Amino acid sequence: MSEFELLRNITLGQYLPTGSYLHRMDARAKIVATLLLVAAVSFTPTLAGNAVLLGVCLGVVGLARIPLRYALRGLLPAVPLLLILAVMQLLFFGRAYDPSSPVVFRWGWILVTAAVARLVLVSAARFVELLLVTSVFTLTTTTSELTHGIESLLRPFRRFRVPAHELALVVTIAIRFVPTLALEAERLMKAQASRGGRTGGSRWRFVERTRQMLPVLVPLFTFALRRGEELVVAMEARAYTGGAGRTVYAVLQGSPADWLVPAAALVFLAVMLRAPFPV
Amino acid sequence: MSAGAPIIQVADLWHTYMAGTPFEHTALRGVTIEVRAGEVVGILGRTGSGKSTLIQYLNGLMRPLRGRVVIDGLDLGSARTNLRLVRERVGLVFQDPETQMFEPLVGDDVAYGPRQLRLPKQEIRARVRWAMDAVGLPFDRFKDRYTFSLSGGEMRKAALAGVLAIRPRVLVLDEPTSGLDPGARADLRRRIQDLREREGLTLVLVSHDMEEVARLSDRLYVLQDGVVAADGPTRALFADAARLAALGLRPPEPVQVVQRLRGLGIDVRPDALTVEEAGDAVAALLIARGPRSARS
Repeated sequence: MSEFELLRNITLGQYLPTGSYLHRMDARAKIVATLLLVAAVSFTPTLAGNAVLLGVCLGVVGLARIPLRYALRGLLPAVPLLLILAVMQLLFFGRAYDPSSPVVFRWGWILVTAAVARLVLVSAARFVELLLVTSVFTLTTTTSELTHGIESLLRPFRRFRVPAHELALVVTIAIRFVPTLALEAERLMKAQASRGGRTGGSRWRFVERTRQMLPVLVPLFTFALRRGEELVVAMEARAYTGGAGRTVYAVLQGSPADWLVPAAALVFLAVMLRAPFPV
Repeated sequence: MSAGAPIIQVADLWHTYMAGTPFEHTALRGVTIEVRAGEVVGILGRTGSGKSTLIQYLNGLMRPLRGRVVIDGLDLGSARTNLRLVRERVGLVFQDPETQMFEPLVGDDVAYGPRQLRLPKQEIRARVRWAMDAVGLPFDRFKDRYTFSLSGGEMRKAALAGVLAIRPRVLVLDEPTSGLDPGARADLRRRIQDLREREGLTLVLVSHDMEEVARLSDRLYVLQDGVVAADGPTRALFADAARLAALGLRPPEPVQVVQRLRGLGIDVRPDALTVEEAGDAVAALLIARGPRSARS
């Protein structure tokens, strides 16, 4: 047991090979399907709609054969933020949001309408859904698949001077370094704690926690900058010149069947947009 | 060396990383070690053998879920034990500790630990002075230097001073000389030896460098796949070539030379550990044989 095990709670940016159907799917189709699901989450303001979405997201997690507990673990660090957000909404929205909605709770100056209560539940549900969808995507997609997928999807926009290859590379590097930085942060927290530093502690004392983070943040930034520089040198040393004229070793060979999933996601999105959910 | 009362006791310690996730990995499988006050204990093992995990228990960075860890009378398994107290008694110097420095000035960085202990100003200054002098960075010359202007060896020493300034009773060093040039390496080794001899510090030394371990430690533990595969006095363990080979370890080069000579039927003293001792052993043999070997 350790108060410092950060990586345990970071599911984003990890790859978990379970050999499921989603793992074998063409990355391009997977990106499109993920974006469509994210759109469905973003455009569904109703409780019933979010219940359906939650069910679909759980189904996707099952399809990827990822243990649900592991997929949900990424939520833990965000729980205080979500709670504070919910409390703020409950306390201060009052009548400002949808004044015609009936009041369900009143205590002194605190006033909660049905619309606000629904908003709180919906935003929490949305957060869980977004996390599940994006986690499943990164857990089933290797970084090289992701790069090639993004690049291939952006290729048509090159005529408008969109640097497809470079954008894909930026995304890949950013995601790739999340676990690396988490591990280094963990190491630094331990090192400073060994010198008597007060890191960790209560999750709720933000100001104190932030000040304590300085001895970790300064070396962490140094580390990140140094790693960035090393990466540049390593790329230069291998004669990296960017996207022009570059070929790939593993060619994306999606079968048409792979596009059934994004097609299903598109139909789902359309249904969610049109469905007359009562609440 | 005279060894005092046990200061670190680890019994049947198990550790699993990322428990409850698909990346679960058991790093320690029932490790039992003991360190007595005043001795230098070396911990050897290949990468992934559990060394780094084990030493994180020694200063309370982790609490045992299975097994017992008692540090200077403080039981880490008990929820009432104050881990900060444990960290004051055992200083842990991570591998490449210079990467943890964050203050612009060397003196300020060394003072981080004592300042966290909320000590009076005079005491902080005294401790920083002592720690910097102990590692060979004279306080008056180095306290106002910019951290990033130090050389690699000086930075390593400053980081070491940062841990020493807490005035721990036990110092745990993970690969203390890795990545340094030979001069800085020899210098740092001498400082570490001084810490033991002059300051009476108890040391736990983790290293891949057999020569270093042989030179500095009284006793060794060899970890393999999360268990203690062998332990004993340094001399006895390194003299047992067959056992070391079975553990996948190569003894220090002077020991290898002595063992090869003995393999050729030459009766050299078997327990030489360092270059100097091996040299003396071979010289003693040559002198004993004297004129005969000169003639042939």
